[in-house]
Formats: sequence, structure tokens, C-alpha cells
Amino acid sequence: MKRAILTLAAILAGTMLFAQPSGGVKGTVVNRNGKQPVENARLVLMQGAAEVATVTSGADGTFYIPGLENGMYTLVIDAPEFLQTQVQVTVNDGYVKNMFNLSLTGMQRVAEIDDDSFAQFDMDDSGYNDNPTILFGSNDVFNNIAGYNFSAVRFRARGYASESQDVYLAGVKMNDAITGYSPFSLWSGLNEAMRSKETTNGTEVSDYAFGGYNGVTNIFGNATNVRKGIRGSVLTNSTLYRLRLMGSYATGLMDNGWALAFNVSARLGGNDWIDGVYYRSFAYYAAADKVFNDTHKLGFVFFATPGQRGAQNASTQEVYDLMGDNMYNSNWGYQNGKVRNARVRKTNEPIAILKYDYTPSDRFNASATVLYRFGKNGYTALDWYDAQDPRPDYYRNLPSYFYDENSDLNRNNQTKAFWAEEVWSHSGNYPTITHINWDRFYYVNRIQTDEDGLNRSKYIQEERHVDQNDLNFAASFKYRPLESITVTGGANARINRTEYYKQVADLLGGDYFVDIDNFAERDFAATPYKVQNDLDYYLVNGSARTLKVGDKYGYDYLAQVRNFGAWVNGKFTFGNFSSNLGARIGYESFWREGLVRKGLFPGTPEDDSMAAAWTAAGIAATDQTSYGKSDVSSFLTYAAKLGLNYVIGGAQRVYANVSYFNDAPRFSQAFLSPRTRNTLMDNLTTVKTFSSDINWQYSGNGINVRATAYYTTIKDQSKVMSAYDDLQNAFSNFAINGIDQRNMGVELGFKVPTYIVPNLSVQGVVAAGRYEYTSNPTLTQTVDNSAEIVMLDVPVQYWKATELMDGTVTQRHYVPSTPQLAGSLGLAYNRNYWFIDADVEYFGESYLDMNPLYRTASAVAGPDNVTTDNEIEYMTTQEKFNPAILLNLSIGKSWYIQYKYQLGFSFNLKNMLNNRSVKTGGYEQTRLVDNTVSRTQYYRFDSKYFYMAGTNYMLNIYFRF
Amino acid sequence: MKKYLYSIVALFALVSCQSLIEEWQPVFTFGDNEPAAMKIYAEDDLYEYDFGGTFTDIQDLKAQYDKKTTAEKSSTSGHVITENIWIKGQVVSDDRTGNLYREIYLQDETAGIDLKLGKSSLYSDFKLGQWVYVKCEDLCIGSYKGMPQLGLEPDNTSLNEYETSYIDSQVLIDTHVFRGEYDTPLSPRMLTAGDISAAIAEGSSAWNPASLWGTYVEVKDLTYGNQIFALVYPHGLIPHKKDNPYNRVFLSDKGTWGINTWAMSKSKYVEYINAGNFDAAEVGSGATRYGAITTKPRDYAEKMGESVINMFGADADITFKEMMVKYATANYVSHYFKVGGTSTILQVRSSGYAKFSDKEIPASVRGGAAVTIKGILTFYDGDAQISLITSPDDPENPSVILQ
Repeated sequence: MKRAILTLAAILAGTMLFAQPSGGVKGTVVNRNGKQPVENARLVLMQGAAEVATVTSGADGTFYIPGLENGMYTLVIDAPEFLQTQVQVTVNDGYVKNMFNLSLTGMQRVAEIDDDSFAQFDMDDSGYNDNPTILFGSNDVFNNIAGYNFSAVRFRARGYASESQDVYLAGVKMNDAITGYSPFSLWSGLNEAMRSKETTNGTEVSDYAFGGYNGVTNIFGNATNVRKGIRGSVLTNSTLYRLRLMGSYATGLMDNGWALAFNVSARLGGNDWIDGVYYRSFAYYAAADKVFNDTHKLGFVFFATPGQRGAQNASTQEVYDLMGDNMYNSNWGYQNGKVRNARVRKTNEPIAILKYDYTPSDRFNASATVLYRFGKNGYTALDWYDAQDPRPDYYRNLPSYFYDENSDLNRNNQTKAFWAEEVWSHSGNYPTITHINWDRFYYVNRIQTDEDGLNRSKYIQEERHVDQNDLNFAASFKYRPLESITVTGGANARINRTEYYKQVADLLGGDYFVDIDNFAERDFAATPYKVQNDLDYYLVNGSARTLKVGDKYGYDYLAQVRNFGAWVNGKFTFGNFSSNLGARIGYESFWREGLVRKGLFPGTPEDDSMAAAWTAAGIAATDQTSYGKSDVSSFLTYAAKLGLNYVIGGAQRVYANVSYFNDAPRFSQAFLSPRTRNTLMDNLTTVKTFSSDINWQYSGNGINVRATAYYTTIKDQSKVMSAYDDLQNAFSNFAINGIDQRNMGVELGFKVPTYIVPNLSVQGVVAAGRYEYTSNPTLTQTVDNSAEIVMLDVPVQYWKATELMDGTVTQRHYVPSTPQLAGSLGLAYNRNYWFIDADVEYFGESYLDMNPLYRTASAVAGPDNVTTDNEIEYMTTQEKFNPAILLNLSIGKSWYIQYKYQLGFSFNLKNMLNNRSVKTGGYEQTRLVDNTVSRTQYYRFDSKYFYMAGTNYMLNIYFRF
Repeated sequence: MKKYLYSIVALFALVSCQSLIEEWQPVFTFGDNEPAAMKIYAEDDLYEYDFGGTFTDIQDLKAQYDKKTTAEKSSTSGHVITENIWIKGQVVSDDRTGNLYREIYLQDETAGIDLKLGKSSLYSDFKLGQWVYVKCEDLCIGSYKGMPQLGLEPDNTSLNEYETSYIDSQVLIDTHVFRGEYDTPLSPRMLTAGDISAAIAEGSSAWNPASLWGTYVEVKDLTYGNQIFALVYPHGLIPHKKDNPYNRVFLSDKGTWGINTWAMSKSKYVEYINAGNFDAAEVGSGATRYGAITTKPRDYAEKMGESVINMFGADADITFKEMMVKYATANYVSHYFKVGGTSTILQVRSSGYAKFSDKEIPASVRGGAAVTIKGILTFYDGDAQISLITSPDDPENPSVILQ
């Protein structure tokens, strides 16, 4: 019997052996970044829709799939922390096909915490803005490490502003047409759909765009680039929202030439650190690609992220200290027992993309994209008419307003100071004073009964809109006439029409609000036409418009922007040496178009009948006008780049770039007071940037190192900020011209195996820079209520340095809001679907944003107009933040279940030392204390700050099938 | 494997349950969630709130001023009330027009009082006729140029010229001032020339305040006196105090200075200056006079002294007139009216921040037509003044009525 069985088995085995085809596939799965082997990658071989075989790569990354019939196969490779990759394999003549190295692209872990990076601070009406830059680039060791944790301290690569980071979607530049800000919030929550991206660093030219000096990120965003299959994830974190639910489904490229992809998400709830900050955001994405043949491909994408989120505000250190909490947020208060935030961003800005790809040959490909962005972008705020300032941390509510040890400040009422201190240091007992008192708004609004029995609201919630209609066209090509020459180029056009207006969001218990200018009324109460926000309406109706929820009021104007450009770049390779040379040229223009006529700036009558009506109403024409089209500002822009690159022995690369840019100023920097009039800043000019860098890179044997030195000068920048000015007792606009800066420094990023413990690497980055101002710009001040110029091109004498009377420089002034010295050192362990990263980080040399007013000679000299060294030091010194040390930990693991499902989690613990005194930004108030006893000097208002959250976590659980 | 899964699921469940309970429910995300009506206090509520307090009438409250301590007497201070006394009165003022600022007047059957709350736009919270209860303990009763005021102890500063300060602090307002029932606004008391003369006589003799001050009154048979009083400060940054005569310009003693508006907004003030209306005015106060405003401070260097010239800084070399334009602000004006053909003067004092400040006094009034004026009667340095509550030509309730 035994023998019989053995015989049978032998026969069977023989038959099988005989039947086994001899073809096969083998190779090594490696990380594209550094070519290290990838262990435990799952390789599924498909023939059409049928799964032929599944294997797992070994410790050395190798795999072997034997016994294959001749034919065409698709090999799908998956590994944790890597993007799924597909390759086509043809098995011929029964041979085992050696695929050699199959590279996988690392997944960006930073993508999972994107909302943290995108979170913008609410700078109130300070005139400042805050927009972080976000580092991407799985193929760069520095960006990979710095991008992951540095965003928590608002790290800006090389000290550059957010506007300088070019962000493209499907080949179209998405930086805001008006402000230049990076536009990540447009797709936050669609991580799965927007995961695939390509990035370049510094001044490198990308295939899709010429780019600037702070890298290019191109997000593909099309259906084919979304990972195939069904995916879901549940995420919770403690600094932004409680819960994120996300799901995606992508078909991959199907036999019929179609690829479909969908992604939806919801982000909901509050957090542990900042009261009043919450999310109620949703996102959806649908995309289809149709591949007609090898040559033609068409893609369509539509997505939006409708929702709302509460914003955080900055307060003074006095408030934080009294509250015992650096995360105090003055934006919220209780309404009927519920937390209500006054500043809520409410957005719904869909984007539609149509992209055509043309690939007639291996040597040439081109694509063209049309992208349209539209919808609503609102940001609520409190507005009030002839009523007390409702902000809880308004300076008149704080102890320092009532008592100060410095008798010159004339604040000597200790009783009031005591009570204010009692309130702020026992906030829980006085929630209606230390937070916004919503209930009071309702009480007040309900008793403002007019003769018709209706209540005129004194307090309302307004919604400031910046609604874009942004139509873009971009085309690019890549042509390789010879192996040694690659030419890329493209053209783009942008038509942007953005409407700025505000509307009534909530009447807070009243029946209506009235469309008049609160500030103007104080100065011109006796001239009713001057207080009108909509003079034409007033002339027809004899009174200002009464407003209901949803009505536009206050201001209403269009920002019109037109950009056209073209670029070309050639890359030439001679053996180990390559170089690239490129140039860009463009034409940019913009103008303002007022949609309502404001009483203070009616302009001149358009025709005789209007002239007659104005005469009858006693309206005086003005040179400056609020209505109609302004002058058109136009600029010729251009740029050139040269890059040199030398590869040494395959693993090392030395490369250098030099570039020059002549860029147009932005609409947001060009108008003195766009809410009230068409007046352009006088000496608007282009921004001139020179940038250079030299780099050394090593990738091999699991070691990755990049070292860079860079030197950049940016000249002739301008800026407009608006704030209340106590000297003028009016809402003021400060236009600053001719800001020059120099950014230089070194970057080092490395990841090196320890060799002692397998799979354990040491990794770290150092970014040491010096970003300083090199000019004293000029300041022009106007007030909203008058055409008169308060200051005209006054030198901001102490902008670049605090320089005493005898010429001694006690402090140079720096580009603010980013650490100029940042370092990270950590361990990374990666084995068997586990990863553990632990890092310690250091951030130093970070400075507070400066207010130009404090750096003028007149503010320094004070009312007596006598300048002393003490005054110079007091008024002009720039605040330097204390350095910070942070400890972070990330752990993750994923499991394959029955080779069909994947389940995994990642868990991040940030700021494990619970350091709650890390200032991440803030601003100086543009206000002076002028009411002093001695009348010899002015005093600063306290600065406002944002702090980083203490220990916080993020847990993401994901599954896939 | 399962163990991990369970623990992850458990952790997630814990986190999300917590979030549902603690984070989601109380957050307002738009929609209907209006607060209930505001608490309106009745007298009984206050007994519950502060058992032990006793109500007193406003006239008796004023008498507290006589209880000044030695320390209070020796400093610029009113009397901080130490007894737990309460007053209740009806609101008779309204700062809607901007003619009053940071204060309300309360009136009961005995008297009226100026309550220095220290907040702007008080008409948003306090309606005419509304009852208001004030816990006076820890507040300060003081006098400003003879006018009784209820506020907080004064600021202890070198610039201070007041016996009381504004209450300002929200927590002190919340614990001392309680809004009561809405009621019909009080009608003005009708006053004759004799009433006013008697009140001036009583009020100016000692601090024995007549019960009329701070009450809502109506005075008939007023005729324009063709005289005004205003005090303006040329330099915006040199303290506006009586010790600084070099920064004071009195518009008085010379008729109306061509001012035909109730007061002067900033733009109206500049208009008057530029029209040369004030060219004959002098810099200085009391016996210290420097000379015409059309001259520069430096030209008065000898009289003023170097330290004063330095205070003017670069402005020492522009004329006071130019300085007045440079630092222009709104300014109050007191127009003199004769009461009932007697020599008794009632000044109509209006703020330059009042919305009616630039309205012209009708020519007929300036021509001598008799008018009736309604407002809050106040006392200032021996003079009777009246502050208009509504606009002079308010369509509903004018405060100046041609007879």
C-alpha cells in the first residue's frame, strides 16, 4: 500500500514536473531612494484579470516566480510605506525574465498630517499674514525628514515665504492669483487622490514647470495615479479634529482604457489644545482617465472640499500668563452653553480639470490642461455698529491697561487692575468676560427696537468673501531629439476674476443691519452721503440699505488678474556631466474694479445727469474713486536658470544652480486700500531675485546624504498692511516699498544604516541659515477716511538694524516666523511591516514679524522729537524667540490578511516633552501708546503670539482590499 | 494579531466616544441656537442676590460725599462708599447721538446722578425709562466742578483732575449695576429761570448738591445769548491739562467766534480755523497769555521757556493755527442761552462727537426767537449747563423746539 502511494505520488509529481512551463520572472525590489532592498514586498502577477501567482520578496529584496507560460503579464508590487507599482512583463521562449531592480517610490508620511501643516493662523485685522510652506519630496532625504516634523514650528525652507513655493496641480500653477499663497487647503482631506506628486528642490526645473527658487511640487491628481483598490482610513488626532474618515476607490487602468477614481472624506470635531477650533469639513473627488491608445489620453477631474472650520487667534503674553494657558483662543465664547467661534472659515471651491496627454513617440510627449476654480470662500468675523468692542482680550479689558509700574504710562488704578487680574486669572468663573459674550449680543440686538417694531442689530457676524473665478490653461512638452539632449517647455495663461465682498452671516437675534461706514460716521456724521458704503443706492432710495442675512455690504470689488507666460529648458548630458539652461518670459497685469460707489470716494460723475444729481445732493467729486476700473498695472516678467550636474561613480552627485528672476508684485501688495478705493501704490516695481546653490548628494549602500549651500537675494519687495493707528485715530493703511533680503545658509540631510542593529538607521537634518533684511524700505501711510497721505515714502530707518546714534549696530533684523537654525537627529527602524521613528529636534534663531511703524524715525523719537539710544533700542529691537527642543515618536505596522486585505496603523506622538512655551509666530501690533505723562517717548503695544501645542498624538488606522 | 486589532479598535472607540461626548456636542456650527431672553432684575431678586443691602434714594447717596475721609480730602478723590447701600433709578440719558460718552444718568423721585460706567454706546444696553439698580458699596461718589458723579475711586496719576474714575472694568459693572424692568421713559421736569438760579446758588455755595443736577429737564423761554465758550488744545500730544497754558486756547468772551453749529466735528473745526474764525484767539489761560494763535511757539520762546519749546518738538516752528489743523479733533461748544429774559444763563453744551454737532443752530434761534430745550441739567464750575439727549431737530423727539 505504502509503495503504491509512493508510486502514485511519484507519477503525479513526474506529471507535474513535466507539465511545468520553464518561463519565469525574477528580480529585486528596491527603494527608489537609495536603492536599498525592500523586504516583504508583495508581488502579484496578473494575466488580464486573473491572478497567476503571489510571492513575497526576501530579506535581500529578491523574488522569483517560476513556472510561467509565455505571454504578457502585469506585475503589481505592494509594500508598506511605498506606492503601489505596476510593471508589464513579457515571458518569451520559456526563459526566466530578470527584471533586475524594481524601484518603489516611498510613501510620504507627511501627507497624513497635512491639515496640521495647512492650518493658518487667524491674524485678525493685524495686517500680517501667515502661510506655511510645506516640504515634500520622498526622493530627497532632507525634505523627507524636515517635511515630516518641522511644520509644527512653521519651518520655512531656506527662510523663503510661502508664496515662493510653486505648487502645481495637473501641470497648472495653483498658487493664489491674488496673494501667491500656496493653495493646499483647496484639496486638504483628499490625501489619497492627491498623494502622487513630483517635487523639485530649490531652483531645479521640473518637467512640468520652470519654477522659481523654492522648489516645484506637481500633484498629478488624475485617476490613473490613485492607488488601485478600495481603501479606508480612520484618523484621530489631538490638535485639529477628533475624527477623519476617508475612503477611496480606484480601478487602475482597465482593459477598456478607462481608469476611474473616487475619494471622499470627512473631518469632524474639536481637539485637546485649542478651544473653539473645530472642523466640519468634507471632501469629494471623482476622476476619470481614458487612454485611447498609446498616443492619446484624456483625463477629467472634479473635486471640492466644502466645509467649515474654526480659527485660532493670537493674544498677548499678558493674557496667556493670566490664563495660565498659551493656547488661549479669544475667538470663541459660549452661546446658550455651546462653544461658538466668531471666526469660521467656510469654503466650497470646486475645481474642474480637463487634461490631454499626447505621446506620439518615445522621444516626445506633451500635455495640455484646462483648470477652472470657482465657488465661495468665506471667513466670518464679528462686526458691530456703534457698540462696545466685543473682543474679550481687547487691551482696555486687561490689567495692564489700568495699572503699570511705569508711571509715564499714566496707568495707576490698582483697584481696576486687581479686578481685571482676578477675572483673567480665574477665567472659569467669568466666562462672559474672558470669552466672547454671544448671549449679550442677542440681548442687545433684541432691544434695539425702531419705530416699525423691528430690531436693528448692533452686533452681527459678517462673512468676508474672496470668491475666485480662476481659469487656467497650461501646456508643456518634453522632447528628446538625441539621447544627450532633452528639451522641455510650456506655455500658460491665467484669467482670474476674484470678487471681494462681505455679507451678513448672522444677525444674532436682530432683524436687520444697516450698510453704512462706522468709521466714516464718526468723522462725517453731519454729511450723511459720506458715510454711505453704497452711495448710488442712497441717492436712489434716500437712505442706506437695510440688510438681511446673505446681503452683501461694506465693500464689493473685483480683483482682475491676467497672466501669460512661456518657458523652455534644455538639458544636455555629456557622460557624467550634465547641464541645463532655461528661460521664462511672461506678462502679468492686474486692476481693481469697484462694484459699489463709496460715499467717501465717489470719484467724478459719469454723465450729466449724475453730475446734476450729485450737485443736488451736495456731493463733491473726488480724485480718488471707489467705483469702476482702476488703472491697469502691467509687468514684463522674466527669469533664467543654469544648472550644472556631475555624477561621480554612480552614487555621488555634485550639482549647482544659479538663477535670476524678475517677478511681478501681487495684486494684494499693490493697492493702498482696496476695500475703499482704486488707488495704486506709486512706485510699484518688480521683485528681483538672484538665487544660487551648490549641492553634494550621496545615495548608495542604504546611505543617503545631501548637503547644500545656498545664497539668495530678493530685492524690491512691497507689502500693504492695514491696522488701526492711534496717532491718526483712524483705520490706516501702511504700504511698504523696497524691502530687500538676503537668505543664505546650509542644509544637510542624512540617513545612514547603523550596521550594528539590522534595519536601524540614524537620520537627521541640519538647516542653518541667515535670513536678514538688507535695506531700509520706505513707508507710505494713508487712512481709510481720507484721501490725504499721512506719510509719503518715509524711510523706515531702523528696518534692517537697530542702529544707535553713534552708528553702533546693536541688532541686525531678520526675516521672521521661521527658525533660522533647525536640526533633527533620530533613529528609524523598519522591519517586517513595522516602522519606528524617534527624533529629537532643535529650533532656534526665530524672530517675530516686525511692524514698520516702530522702525520709523518719528515713532522712535516720540512726541518730543528727540531721539535717544534708549528709545532706539526700546522701539526698534526685534524680538527673538527662545529656542525649543522637541521629542517625537512614530510607530506603525501593517498586516496582510489572507493576502487579500491589508490592515495597518500609524501612531505619532509629538512634542513628548510637553513643551508648551514654543512660540511659532505672531506679530507686533501696529499701534503706539502716545498718551504718556512725560510726552517724551512712545510705547509699543504688546505683541501677540501663537504657541505650539503640548504633547499631541495622531492615530491613523487604514485598511485596503 | 487579533490582540493588536482589538486594542486598536478599543482605543479608537474610546477616542471617538470621548469626542462625541466632550467635543462635538457643545460646538456651535451654525443653525438655530438662540439664547433665552436676558435676565431682567426685579427688586426682590436683588434682595436674594445681596441680602443685607439697603436701598437709599439718590439724594441721600449724594450726601455720602460728606463722609470723605481725611485721606480723601487731602487728595483729588471723592468718597469711596463703605456701606452696603443700593440705589434704583430710571435711565434718563441716551448716548445714541454721541453727545454723552461713557456715562448714563439715573433719576429717581429725589434726584439724578451721573453714573460713570466707562463703556461706550451704553444705549445698546440701557434703554430710556429702564430701571437700574446700583450696589454702591466700593463705588466712589465725587464731584467734578460741582457736578455729582458716581464712579470708581480716581486714578492715582499726575494727570488726574477727577475725583472719580470710570468704572470700566466689566466685572465691577456686572457686580454693581443690574438692569431692571423696562418702564415708560420719564417726562422732563419743567424748570423756570428761578429754579435754575436757585440751583446754581445752592450748587455753587458748597458741595451741597441741588437735586436738579443730573435730572432730565425742559426749560422754556430761552433766547440765544450770542456767546459761546470752548476750550481747544492746539497740540495733540502735549497733555490737555490746566497746568499747561501754552497748549490752551479759549474761545470765549468774544461772542460766538462765528460758530453757528451746535459743536465742531473735526472737519468743521478745521473749516472754522481755515476760515480765520479763531485768528483773534490767544494762546494761554487765566493770567498766563502768550499771544495770537497765528504765531509760532518759538516766537514765544522767552515767555514759554526752553523746556516748553522742546515739548513742541518740530512743531515749535509752525504757527499754533497750523498746529490746530494738524492735530485737529472734534471739539465741544457751549452756547449761551438766557432764561426767561433774565440774566440767568443756561449753557447748551454739545460734544463735537455728537452726530448733530455740525448742524447749524437755526438762524431764527440765533436771531432771538424763544425756544424750549430739553436735556440733562448739569453743573459746571458755577454754571448751569444742559446736554441734549436727542438731536435738536430729531423728527420724533426734538430737543430744541421753536416756541
